[in-house]
Amino acid sequence: MKFNLEIDGQIRTVELEPRERDGQYRATINGELVEFEARLMRPGVLLLFLGGRSHRVVREDNAPAGNGNGSAVMVGGRRYPYRVEDPRSLKARRAHGGGADGPRSIKASMPGRVVRVLAARGEEVEAQQGVVVIEAMKMQNELKSPKAGRVAEIRVAAGDTVAAGDVLAVVE
Amino acid sequence: MPEFRKILIANRGEIALRIVRACKELGIATVAVYSEADRSALHVLEADEAYQLGPSPATESYLRSDLILEVARRADADAVHPGYGFVSENADFAEACERAGTKFIGPPSSAMRALGSKTRARQAADAAGMPRTPGSTRGLSSLEEAYAVAEEIRYPVMLKAAAGGGGKGMRAVARREDLKASFESAQSEALRAFGSDEVYLEKLVERPRHIEVQVLADEHGNAVYLGERECSVQRRHQKVIEEAPSPVVSADLRKRMGEAAVRLAQSQGYTNAGTVEFLVDEEQNFHFLEMNTRLQVEHPVTELVTGLDLVHLQIRIAQGERLPLKQEDVGMRGHAIECRVYAEDPDNGFFPSPGRITRLLQPGGPGIREDCGIYEGWVVPMEYDPMLSKLVAYAATRELAIARMLRALDEYVIGGIRTNLGLFRRILNEPNFRAGRIDTGYLDRLLAGGSNERQPEDTGGTIATIAAALFEAKRAAPPQAPQAIATSGWKSAARREGLRG
Repeated sequence: MKFNLEIDGQIRTVELEPRERDGQYRATINGELVEFEARLMRPGVLLLFLGGRSHRVVREDNAPAGNGNGSAVMVGGRRYPYRVEDPRSLKARRAHGGGADGPRSIKASMPGRVVRVLAARGEEVEAQQGVVVIEAMKMQNELKSPKAGRVAEIRVAAGDTVAAGDVLAVVE
Repeated sequence: MPEFRKILIANRGEIALRIVRACKELGIATVAVYSEADRSALHVLEADEAYQLGPSPATESYLRSDLILEVARRADADAVHPGYGFVSENADFAEACERAGTKFIGPPSSAMRALGSKTRARQAADAAGMPRTPGSTRGLSSLEEAYAVAEEIRYPVMLKAAAGGGGKGMRAVARREDLKASFESAQSEALRAFGSDEVYLEKLVERPRHIEVQVLADEHGNAVYLGERECSVQRRHQKVIEEAPSPVVSADLRKRMGEAAVRLAQSQGYTNAGTVEFLVDEEQNFHFLEMNTRLQVEHPVTELVTGLDLVHLQIRIAQGERLPLKQEDVGMRGHAIECRVYAEDPDNGFFPSPGRITRLLQPGGPGIREDCGIYEGWVVPMEYDPMLSKLVAYAATRELAIARMLRALDEYVIGGIRTNLGLFRRILNEPNFRAGRIDTGYLDRLLAGGSNERQPEDTGGTIATIAAALFEAKRAAPPQAPQAIATSGWKSAARREGLRG
């Protein structure tokens, strides 16, 4: 089973191959062979034995959005965000160089309440100009436009409650 | 001596649970109050009775002293424990309790009023002969007065709100040219945050340590101090790590600070638990900062080194009992460190991170205490302070306590939301912290210096990659009933993939 993973900002190709004894695996990561044993302690918590050392890894599901598709694993207190890459979309993305063209959405990075909307539909905004302010746990967070352009949509109003990952506005 | 049968806990989160536990240990029934957002919070589940105060915003629930007293009456509670924050330092609430005949577990409202305003507390410090920073002891009436005081005590100076807290309405001023703008902005910020624009000036202490003394006074005129807590590791004036004892306080300094703190408390007719905060300069001079007229967040470190239970003692004092110990009976043994675990994202400007806790693996073992108000599956509400739990490590020495804390941090997993757990690992491994060379600017400087967390070319990356691939393989596999051997899902999925391709 083969995956292209973008993990912690790096693209890695991983091929997983189970071996005879249950829980034992061979993996090839970017061409390098690794042998290990894996056990699931409980859903989302994995124990890996590799080179005589054990590692506990915890998967973060429904992690707050804003990092690719929002998955992450935690190893030794460090968090590794990752996304599974479709090889085709990867190529396409590289060819586009990150995709500064086209509409870009502004998403809520945390659940909260909309305090203010700073730009109106149709307004021209600069890159990094604040568009929506949301508040959670007594702290305000100004969400900025990812690019210079025109505000195509404002989907929220002051007082609305939003979830992490909700699209608040679109800039084109 | 009246014994309480039932106590209402006017708070939420870990501290409400901490108090519920103490009441249970003393055989006292508990009443929880909660807001809409906290319907299924842990303190509600653990208390004997629970009443909803109102909607989620604190101003409509936990800050509604009228509703809290109404619940106390309805539930027939003898006493109210306010915890910290919310109504805990509200003298009007304490007075309303006194009038209603419900015992407020804390000092009398008169002492709260005398010490609640920072300017009045500075006057009280003078009366008690306690050293304080040079500066005014009353609100500044004009900009001209501010200039005059600043000239007298010399720049750099600090402007502070009399009603302040948490760094609001506070400005450091280095030069005369900056005083006017800072004075005006401090006034308007204080007015917005506290409803009072009273601002005073004091001499700025360079690279101060924040060290505080726990005091305990009964209603019969007896008072003791329980040593100090070092709280210099702060981010933007909010404490992040506290420890007891302080790595720099000698027995002599402890005695002088402790006796000054007790003198201040007694001069104001203070009773119950309280904390006197000091700034300690590089020459080990201590200056009175303010008095917190309630239980502190960081009280567990004092409990661990003194072997006392402060909440038990608070309740017993409020019942009218005499202090069970004298100053010479108070000992400090070993070292305790507390980490305040917050739902916030250190990689993203420390923005709050409320949401569902999908995974919770809690640390344990020798010398570890976790005061916590969360559980797996609970949704951390967005309305309140982001503190999730307090992780406390106790050991014979500071070095061992640090090692123990690092071990516990490795065991601690909170999934689904972001937390500052990684930050503690970084601080506890940092050479200056380990050497005890800290001041209130320490953490902000460390954070401004950027992350050094990712230095060693990590084996973690390989582990993470393997784990991510396994989790994704499992996700791709069809669900299997009963998943006795959990790896079989990956195995069969991998086989199918292998056959196909």
